[in-house]
Amino acid sequence: MAKMTLEELRSLRDTKKKEMTQRDSGGKSAQIIIGMGTCGIAAGAKEAFDAFLDELNSHDVKDTRITQTGCMGLCFSEPTVEVAVPGMPRVIYGNVDGKVARRIVKEHIIGKALVSDHIFDKPAADIIK
Amino acid sequence: MHATICDLITDLVQNSIEACATDIKLNVEETKTNLNVVIADNGKGMSTAVLEKAKDPFYSDGQKHKHRRVGLGLPFLFQTAEMTGGNAAIKSTEGVGTTVTFQFDPANVDLPMFGNFTMAAVTLMTYGFEGNLTIERSVDGAGYSISKMEVLDALGDLNDTENLILLKNYMASQEEEIKVL
Ligand SMILES: Nc1ncnc2c1ncn2[C@@H]1O[C@H](COP(=O)(O)OP(=O)(O)OP(=O)(O)O)[C@@H](O)[C@H]1O
Ligand code: FES
Ligand SMILES: [Mg+2]
Repeated sequence: MAKMTLEELRSLRDTKKKEMTQRDSGGKSAQIIIGMGTCGIAAGAKEAFDAFLDELNSHDVKDTRITQTGCMGLCFSEPTVEVAVPGMPRVIYGNVDGKVARRIVKEHIIGKALVSDHIFDKPAADIIK
Repeated sequence: MHATICDLITDLVQNSIEACATDIKLNVEETKTNLNVVIADNGKGMSTAVLEKAKDPFYSDGQKHKHRRVGLGLPFLFQTAEMTGGNAAIKSTEGVGTTVTFQFDPANVDLPMFGNFTMAAVTLMTYGFEGNLTIERSVDGAGYSISKMEVLDALGDLNDTENLILLKNYMASQEEEIKVL
């Protein structure tokens, strides 16, 4: 890959943006929240982040947002990742390494089925807004 | 404990973000004989008393982690410096800011692996905080610099997956350029 300039970055983005407006997104997007507290980082949260990007890219999944949060207070199951797909319950996954991140993309985000063996918690309805 | 230098750097920049810094400078300079890192912020800084405590492995401000009272960031830095014969220092002025610097010997066998700087940069650039982060990076004299404001300006929404992928490719291309000699 040749060294990219900011101009090239901008024009790549504009191309993507055009494709996006032509696409009917339905306006609802899946959300991935990665716990990037110290324990999360030490446990490999950046590898999970990288794997999410790679897998979403290779399956050409659009309309997904990835945000980071600090400590989730769940050290013992780091890296922790929260996933919200419209029409599905919000789920927290624990011990998300690169492999699990790829499964979450394929099974949960694309296949609309929970990755049950890595579910840490389903917060009670009154905790989430 | 952190597995790589890049994890440690991420942690230290997060300290700056947590200290409400609006301007953070990260310098990462590698040569054959030296790894030189500077993290300078204009955050809330530390009093002399807090600074002394911050070097203590059994200190964290007690608010952040409900289940843990032990900070991992700074202690890991000092421990690594001690173990590998490197240097680490913090200068901080309350209300003005904090500068953390360290120099490690890349050839030391006890030094953790350097790790993935591309993902560290992507993570830090897109961590939700208001301020700016400027990265200066060089390997054996060849380098690049990039700031969060420039990235925001080029890409806009930094939580959108497509933009994140573009940013990752951008950072990877910068890293590749300085590593291939
Ligand atoms: N850049 C900074 N500006 C102001 N205060 C800082 C800075 N870096 C560290 N501190 C202070 O030093 C303390 C110890 O930092 P350290 O990174 O070791 O632990 P922590 O951030 O509290 O927890 P952890 O990093 O494990 O999540 C912090 O709680 C904070 O009070
Ligand atoms: S990051 Fe683990 S308890 Fe906060
Ligand atoms: Mg810290």
